[in-house]
Parts: sequence; structure tokens; C-alpha cells
Amino acid sequence: MSWKLFSLLLQASGMTILVSAFAIVAGLIIAIALSALRLSGNRLALGFVAVFVSFFRGVPLLVQLLLLFNLLPALGISLSSLSTALIGLTLCTAAYQTENLRGGFAAVPPGLIESADMLGFTPVQSFLRIKVPIALRLTFPTLISEAILILKASSLVSVVGVIELTKMASNLAASTFMPVELYAAAGLIYLAINQVVTLIGRFAEGRLPGTGVPAR
Amino acid sequence: MKFDIGVILASGHEILSGLALTVLIWIAGSALGLGLGFIVATLRRYGGPLVNLGLAIPVEILRGTPFLVQIFLLYFGGPFIGLSLDPIPAGLLGLTVYGAAYYSEIFRAGYQSVPEGHVEAADCLGFGRIQTIRHVLLPEMALIVLPPAVNMTVILLKETALLSLITVPELTLTVQAIGSQKYAFLESLFVLALVYWALVEIAGQLGRLAEGYFSRYRTART
Amino acid sequence: MRTKLLTGLTAAALFIGAGFAAHAQDALARAQGAGVLKVGTETAFAPFDFIDGGDHVGFNVDLFDEIGKELGVSIEWVTLDWAGVLPGLEAGHFDMVAGPATITKERMERYRFTTPIAESTVAILKGAKDDTITKPEDIAGKAVGAGHASSQLAQLQTFSESLPTPADVREYTSNNEAYADLAAGRIVGVANSFPNIAYVAQQRPEVFAVVEPPFGEPTYFGFPGLKDADHATLMDAIDGAMLKMKADGRMGTLQKKWFGVTFNTPDAVTDPKV
Repeated sequence: MSWKLFSLLLQASGMTILVSAFAIVAGLIIAIALSALRLSGNRLALGFVAVFVSFFRGVPLLVQLLLLFNLLPALGISLSSLSTALIGLTLCTAAYQTENLRGGFAAVPPGLIESADMLGFTPVQSFLRIKVPIALRLTFPTLISEAILILKASSLVSVVGVIELTKMASNLAASTFMPVELYAAAGLIYLAINQVVTLIGRFAEGRLPGTGVPAR
Repeated sequence: MKFDIGVILASGHEILSGLALTVLIWIAGSALGLGLGFIVATLRRYGGPLVNLGLAIPVEILRGTPFLVQIFLLYFGGPFIGLSLDPIPAGLLGLTVYGAAYYSEIFRAGYQSVPEGHVEAADCLGFGRIQTIRHVLLPEMALIVLPPAVNMTVILLKETALLSLITVPELTLTVQAIGSQKYAFLESLFVLALVYWALVEIAGQLGRLAEGYFSRYRTART
Repeated sequence: MRTKLLTGLTAAALFIGAGFAAHAQDALARAQGAGVLKVGTETAFAPFDFIDGGDHVGFNVDLFDEIGKELGVSIEWVTLDWAGVLPGLEAGHFDMVAGPATITKERMERYRFTTPIAESTVAILKGAKDDTITKPEDIAGKAVGAGHASSQLAQLQTFSESLPTPADVREYTSNNEAYADLAAGRIVGVANSFPNIAYVAQQRPEVFAVVEPPFGEPTYFGFPGLKDADHATLMDAIDGAMLKMKADGRMGTLQKKWFGVTFNTPDAVTDPKV
């Protein structure tokens, strides 16, 4: 395969990295917000979170993206292909991350929260300053595996018109009649990105402070 | 904009045939993947370091690349290397191999969860390797293996939607085709989302029933 | 926290709400106001739209460049699979479709078409070394592919049913995949419009050949847009630009460049054969 083709794949993988990175970060923020709703104990909030998580984990991402792409304009919201892809990936990973965080929040020792209460922390403060950091620290490895899952899932955003690594490979495969080389090269690039994410994850995990919470 | 889901539901028998193919490919792919995954994990445990490494590489490649790229490579690239499969066999093969990579890791963790002492005890009792696997390892790791295996099986159900992109006439392709024939695009996507959602919920419930069944003799750990 | 959350939500609503652009102006005024005309297409339809060495090129790209000059706008392309293009138009993701699409009765009820840009009569593409197919009827009982949700597929199905043994008709998400499957030997033919398959056969004469004559009714390609009042002036303006290009010879030059021939098309199709 020529360098020209490979460099086109590399350029397109920039889009793959961009949408995945955005989705992971935005998805984490939404997941924390949903976890707060869940911890609030309000029945309505619990129901909303349960339906949200069940829907976005229960429907194939391909269908979610197409639905979003066709539904939002029908509701009078017009968004570009890229925005639709970002929102679709974000909502999907938010559902998974909410589930991942559940165990982390459950493992926060009640004693810590009681101490915070006595020190005069408001519920919001103890959520943001104590529960969230501990839950994040405890579930950090699942965040890294989720990042890799989303990188792979981003191969679907071309159905709403975003040209990323997989779509570029399939475009080039059509014009060059070299599908084996192009899909194999795309696969290698995904593997390389995943390796980098895994290494960053390991490095970061080694650097993160402990939580004082005994392993379960 | 008018919204009439009846337009799609009027083609009920076509939807059912797509649904049937989705369920069929899913069950066949998961069952074959589960079997292949078990064989891979067992070979990695007993086959020595070379076999272990030789199998670890394809497993990591399959787990590190998108399923979409794998089925495109298999379906569109296959004929260039002498493997020309029709959409349904290609889809089934793709799903099986992809699932097997994940299942093999689940079984590998299962094998590791069984204390060495139990295997040694079986040895002392004169159990052969197959007997040990059958009567000691498999029953002991069932509880460890089942939850992630159920989870993976549900994921495979959703992955079958991607087979529409290599023209397997499963649920997604069928309902989308009805949607474009009748210009009822949004309705077709709603039907798809609801059917998959229901399928995944049902599959999850069945999985939980299975977990309950296998843990019925389990006493609490002290 | 609560106020912060509210501010955040409001900001998010505003961000999304930016899409609720005022609909006081019509589509043409909005496009000219923004200086951008959004056009949806697929990129698996050589020589109209395809990817060559990573770049989106083809007859449509050149033609819309000229239309853009006439209207004083630049063209922004939105590329989807063909099955997503007409839904994307109706959902409002772009102002019109470059497709192009065969002008059919059914589609005319739903969309407004521009003046025709080329003939689109359906023919069969076969393997260059395949001697068993010399006329369209020879596909009887064999596997033949066509693009999902295309008029060529519908015509292939009708033609197949008229044969003593119907063909095994397969649907593809894009024509490129059907061509690839033909090259791979999974199918013996691909039904697509004559200009498309003539181009493909000319690019790869060692792999593909065209089965003459075309089997379908004479049809034409046009660009579909929406029929509503909002898009009326836009479609009028595009039609005007295209007819002007047809009169001054630019259309013919582009046809010659991409198809190797010029087509004798009517100025408007009012009563399509299919």
C-alpha cells in the first residue's frame, strides 16, 4: 500500500480520536450527573436514570445514531453530522459509564460521608469532593476499557456522515480495489491507538493517589 | 411531519423474517463462539507457552479492532485471498470469531479463579485432565464465568445489527428497507429501537435466570 | 450547585437551540445569507460522486461548483450511504440532493426534480470473462446485485420477474460493494444506470464489461429536492442555473468529461416511464 493511502488513513484517524475523546469526557460528566440523580433517592429521578441506562445500553449504536440523525430535525433541532455523532456517542457511553460508576459510588465508606457531615460539608460538597473522587479512582480501570470500547464504536459514526478511519478505509477500498490492505491497515491503526490508551491508563493509574478504601 | 408507525407494522411478516434471522444468527454465533472460546482458553492453559502466545495474538487483534472493520475485511477482503462467502455465512463466521475472542478471555479468567489445590486434589484422586475440567474446573468457575458471558452474549445481539452493512437481511436491513420503500424513515427507526430494546431486556432477564439456576447450591462465602 | 447546574443546562439548551434558526426566510435566502449551500450525496456512485485518492470528485462536484458560482454560494457536501440520503433531505440535514436519482413517478409525487442531467436507463454490468451472459435475459436464475433503495433495484426486480426463472436479486448498501462482489464472483451481474456501469467498465476493462442493450425503460437522472414552498425559490434558482449551463454548453462539456458522451435530455421530465 502506498504511503499516500496510509497517510489518508492516518488523517482520518484524527477524526476517530477526536469524536472518541469528546464522547468519553462528555459521557463521564453526564454519567456523574446521572449518578447524582440516582443517589438522590427521588423516585422520578431513579426511574429516569434506569430508563436512560437501559435504552442506551439496549439499542444498537447504529440504530441510535440513525434515530438521532432523523429524530432531532423532526423535533426542530438541526445539527451537523459531527454534532449528531458526538451527541450519539456521548449518550451511549454515558449510559455505560453510569453503570460502571455504580459500584464505585456504592464502595464509598459511609463513615467518610458522616465525618464530612460533621465537618459541615453540604451534601453537594460531599458529593463532589468525596464521593466523586473516590468513585472515579475505584472505577478508573473500567474508564480505560470504556475508552477502548468507544474508540471501536466510533467506527459507526459514518452512518450520519462523519468520515473517520473506517469510512476512509472503505472509501479507499472502493476506489483502489484493495480491501484487504486497507481494512488491515485500518485495523492496525485501531490497535496502535488502543495500545497508547492502555499505556496512558496504566501510567496514570500508577500515579493516582490511593483512596484508603480497602479493595473489595 | 406525520408519524404513522402502522405503515411499518403493516409489513409484519417481513419484520418477523428479519427478526428470525437476527435471533438465529445471534444464537448460532454465540453458541459457536462460546464453544470456540472455551477451546481457545483450554488450549492456552494446557498447550504450552508457544500455543499460548500464538493464540494470544489473534485474541488481542480481535479485541482491539472494531467488529465493523473485521466483517468488512472478511466479507470484502475475503474474496481477494480466496475466501468468498455469502453474506449470511460471512456474518455468522464473523460473529463467531469475534465472540470467541471475548469468551476465551472470560474462560481464561474462570480457569484462573479455581484454586490450584482443587486441581491437585483431583490429580490425587486419579482424575484425568478431561475429567478434571468436566467435574472440577467447569462447575467451580461457572459462577465466575456466567455474568460476563451473559453480558457478552447480549453485546453480540446488538452487534448483529452491523451485519446489515454486509447485506445480511436481518432485522436492521429489513426494517430499513421497509422504511425506504414507504418513505417512513423515522417510523422504521423507532420500530428498530423498540424491538432491539425488548430483545436485549428479554435476553438480560434470561441471563439472570441462568445465573440464579447455576448458583442455587452456592452458599454464602465466609 | 443547583444554580450552576441550571446555568449549564441553559447553556446546553442555547447551544442546541442555535439550530432553531429563524424560518422567516426561505431556503434560498438562508443559503445565500450564509454563503453556503448544503448538498447531500453518497460517494459510491462513480462517475457522479466518488472518492479518488481520498478526494471527493465527479460530475456532481464539478456541476455544483458551477451552480454555486451562479447562486453566489459555496457548496458544503454531506456524504451518507444512499439509503440515508433521501431521509437526510427530509430531515433537513441539507438543502438538496446531488445523488443523482432516477426520475420516477413515485419519487415525483414526493420530491421536486431538477432538469435532467443524464440518461439513467438501467443496464447490466458483468464480468469481462463471462461468456454466459450476452443479453440481459441471460441473468435468469443467476445472482445479480443492485443498490439498496435504488430505482435500479426496483427495475431489476420487475425485469427479473418477467424472466422464465427469476434472478436471485441481492441488495447492496452501495454500488461499490456490488461491483466488488461481482469482481469477487459472488454475483454474475450488477444492475445500474448505463452511464455508471459504462464508466466502471471503461476504468477496469479487464474485470468488467457492459451487457448491451440496456434492459430498462428510458429514464433520466435529476437532482431531487423538497417540494414545499420553503424550497421553491431555491429549486427554481438551481433549475435556472442548470438550464443556463445547458444552453451555454458547460453542461455538455462536463458530460463529455465524465461520461465520454453528451446526452440529449429534455428540459423537464413530466411523465416518467417508470
